[in-house]
Amino acid sequence: MRAESAFSVPVKLWALLCVLVGVSFGGNVLLTCILTGFAFVYLLLQRNIRLVISYGCFYLLLALLLVAIRYHGLHMVVFSEFYVLMFWNLSAVVLVSWDLITTPPGELSAFLSRIHAPTALILGLLVVFRFFPTMRAELKGVGRSMKNRGLTAPKQLLLHPLVSFEYVLVPFLLRVLQIADQLSVSAVARCAERPGVRGSYYGRKMTYRDIAMIAAWTVVTVGFVFLGRRFA
Amino acid sequence: MIELKNVTFQYADAERGVYDVSLRVDKGECVVLTGLSGCGKTTLTRLVNGLAPAYYQGSLSGEIRIDGRDIRSMKSWEIGQLVGSVFQEPKSQFFSSEMNGEVAFASENCGFSGEEIRRRTDEAIRRLCLIPVRDRPLDKLSSGEKQRTAIASVYALRPKVFVCDEPTANLDEEGIVELAQTLAELKSAGYTLLIAEHRLAWLMELADRFVYLKDGRIIQEYIPEAVSALPEEERKGMGLRRVTTGAASLRSDSHIKKGTLVLQAKRLSKRNQKVKILDNVSFGVQKGSVTAITGKNGAGKTTLALLLSGLVRQSGGEVLLNERKARAACRRKHVYYCSNDMSTQFFTASVSEELLNTELTESKLKSARELLKRMGLYAYKDAHPATLSGGQKQRLAVACALFSGREILILDEPTSGLDGANMELIAAELRAAANAGITVIVITHDPELIECCCDNILEIQDRFDTPPWKCEIQYHREP
Repeated sequence: MRAESAFSVPVKLWALLCVLVGVSFGGNVLLTCILTGFAFVYLLLQRNIRLVISYGCFYLLLALLLVAIRYHGLHMVVFSEFYVLMFWNLSAVVLVSWDLITTPPGELSAFLSRIHAPTALILGLLVVFRFFPTMRAELKGVGRSMKNRGLTAPKQLLLHPLVSFEYVLVPFLLRVLQIADQLSVSAVARCAERPGVRGSYYGRKMTYRDIAMIAAWTVVTVGFVFLGRRFA
Repeated sequence: MIELKNVTFQYADAERGVYDVSLRVDKGECVVLTGLSGCGKTTLTRLVNGLAPAYYQGSLSGEIRIDGRDIRSMKSWEIGQLVGSVFQEPKSQFFSSEMNGEVAFASENCGFSGEEIRRRTDEAIRRLCLIPVRDRPLDKLSSGEKQRTAIASVYALRPKVFVCDEPTANLDEEGIVELAQTLAELKSAGYTLLIAEHRLAWLMELADRFVYLKDGRIIQEYIPEAVSALPEEERKGMGLRRVTTGAASLRSDSHIKKGTLVLQAKRLSKRNQKVKILDNVSFGVQKGSVTAITGKNGAGKTTLALLLSGLVRQSGGEVLLNERKARAACRRKHVYYCSNDMSTQFFTASVSEELLNTELTESKLKSARELLKRMGLYAYKDAHPATLSGGQKQRLAVACALFSGREILILDEPTSGLDGANMELIAAELRAAANAGITVIVITHDPELIECCCDNILEIQDRFDTPPWKCEIQYHREP
């Protein structure tokens, strides 16, 4: 299972720190492919194959564009050379951050509990993770309801854009308040206000695999910075 | 176990509250609070689990004791360990997207060791029979399973009391049966249960006492036999739901006029990515009839309603209006869909604007006024829809549908969580609309609503059945 092959949260944080240091201090932008390449290996080891394939295709496209820009004088108005190079440079950061933020919230909160983070911070984090999927469903509901009542007709949207915006905003904001209220009640009723250290269901310990990955990221980053400075 | 002595509570921001309530619930007893919407039963549950006045502020007098301890001397987490709370809508109270995290949430808050949390979580999941669905994301569970997950998450703390506030509001028949079994097991294990509920039938074997509240006061206490023995007229007069279980049957004086089929589905299909939600569904609905669409949670009822009303496009098949093929945009002009999610239904600043956001004529104003009066909403005509109670919002949503002027109305669970009196009010309005030539389709799990106003029942069989999809229509009389 994917959850079992995933690295623990400290490894993910260390990987993010490494790519941030690497991208910031490395002297050669093109060589960031070393970091990105290792990020792909890191994802494959966690069996995140979908992300590797989808981002891999995008990365390949960036490589082709770079070749076309460098050797064939390609110049695009909308997606200029600057953006191509920026995405190329930041790919490793994007991949590693995405992997971190898609970690199950329970594992993140377990890590935060272990380092004795304040309960308010942990609960805040859990709420943020719940918030986005819930809101997406709510917005869909509002849109459908407006369509049903004929409030999304082009004439209505063009002639009364502000009113239409209000139609979306008012029920949406009210729903946000309502959900916040229900979540708070549910938290209070389940002892969330108790002071002291929070326990955790996920009692994951660092394994040799995790330690090896921390070492690997360190070696790759140091090597990359060293190489980058040499070929700057 | 629970003792209230001369308790009066008045919300700080509303006129509602409970007045001079005295109630005693012994260990291992199951007591049901019932009465009309707004009678104070939810407030009583909030007083017992400490959410009022700690979270819902107001003035409190009198004495509340749980397990011999004065609730005022206890902190919210101490009450939480003693009283487990189960609410109406489990999905909006989940903190996690997966079951282990959700069930462990309360134990994590209490700071138990990792091993202890895992032991309690595993035990709660096993006890609530959730092992087969343990690895599924929470939003993929049926509503009954979601409600059991909510119970498991408080069960993990081993409270002495369970307080449930309308736990069946979003459940289908099967979900209710599962919930009743779970609560019966908890009761036989010695837990004390306090349940605020409109639907009484499923509680007849479980409850030891029914407490009838009105305007914030306890009017009468009944044993189950006494509730069963209440004459029907008296029970209806009290606004109570029926007390017998059983499959929905059609109203006794149902009749279907012979006439054209105003709405027809022909081999209608819908897939979401690769998942078949509906396949090969065909049926017809007659002008001026009230049709109930029933089926288990997740059978595709709401999807069918969205397809018929043109809010979602079909993957295959066609919909005919007045025997002519109708595209989605055309269907949206003729069919009105009233969702069961009240929070996304209203857009304007007042109840009256909600009905009248079209061109105004004197006759329209008059009929809007009459409709609001019949629905018991005229007093709130200038109130913001968001300030209405749940039952009032449901009535307003139905009023908007009736006032839309469209020839076909589809209402999704219009009476879930409503007391008997309001259910009958909505049933009567739907019946009157049908008599005036409007075609009404209600998606419902409510056998009483079907009995009160429906001419035929269309049952969608479980989508996990082997295809072809069965879509059985039970007509009271052959059309």
